Amino acid sequence: MNHQSPPRWAELLLERLLPLRDRETVTGDLREEYAEFLAPHFGRLRANLWYLRQISSIAGRCIREGGTMTKLLSLTSAITLLCGCWLALMECLLRHPGFASRATIALLIAAAGMATLLVRLLHTGARSERWLWAAAVALIGLGVFSFLHNVRAAHFEGFVFVISIVLMLQGLLMLATLGRQSSSGQTLTGA
Amino acid sequence: MDRSGLFARAKQIKYCLLTSRGSYAYIVCMADLLGTFEQAVLLAILRLGPDAYGRAILRQVQVSLARTVVAGAVYTTLDRLEQRGLVASKLAPGTAIRGGRARRYFVVAAAGNRVLADAQKTMTKMWQGVNLPVAVKS
Repeated sequence: MNHQSPPRWAELLLERLLPLRDRETVTGDLREEYAEFLAPHFGRLRANLWYLRQISSIAGRCIREGGTMTKLLSLTSAITLLCGCWLALMECLLRHPGFASRATIALLIAAAGMATLLVRLLHTGARSERWLWAAAVALIGLGVFSFLHNVRAAHFEGFVFVISIVLMLQGLLMLATLGRQSSSGQTLTGA
Repeated sequence: MDRSGLFARAKQIKYCLLTSRGSYAYIVCMADLLGTFEQAVLLAILRLGPDAYGRAILRQVQVSLARTVVAGAVYTTLDRLEQRGLVASKLAPGTAIRGGRARRYFVVAAAGNRVLADAQKTMTKMWQGVNLPVAVKS
């Protein structure tokens, strides 16, 4: 019998969210529920929506895992991501001279937030790799640069001030988490 | 241990509640108390017996609580209960519908049974002599 199964990308995402111990069993449980009950009774669309809801609940569990520092890191990364996206959108809408370069910088900031969130949430196995240290230092540098630039500028931008503080905080938290993980063998996921 | 000794002990233990009744004082360790959801998961495992694996527990908890429950909540609770030594688990081979993925079966450990019995006793004690002032619509 040919059973229906959840979308492959969703299963892959779920696998990455789960710690190694639960990877096989939890994805198996959800696939069984999907194929045996949900898809035949409610159709693929509702089954897919149910599957996504389970993924979000497990992602929530990943965020709640770990200590205060890792939770703060998730929060600052999320703020960086949102702020970066908002800045890029505004630059593209307002189209002031030189908007393209500023929008690119804003998108890079958003990418930094997204990358940290992904490394934090997904069990990528990323440990004390040099690029993570470099990224943390770059974030602090970017934060300090934008902070000083904003303070010296003719027009003080409150939004840029907030982003620069968040960037510095995110970089510092990353450094602290990476330092702790290298001494205890933990990953950024807190696992 | 006298009352002052109990107060001193309660200060040492984190998450403890000191309660007194007449001339007696009790220490109730919050770590030993079970939340409603934890009770529901443990009872689901007991009800399912040898068939208690993730998906079956999820469905059983939904039936007993009469509401939709997300998988994340059940797996987090199972992890926590296992860390506290209240349940034990073992892997078993999976079926074709699961794509051959293994199943994790759970059993309630002796400590889990004891904590459940305590929770039941506490509930019964709490409700003794209580009459709800207003009729509750079902």
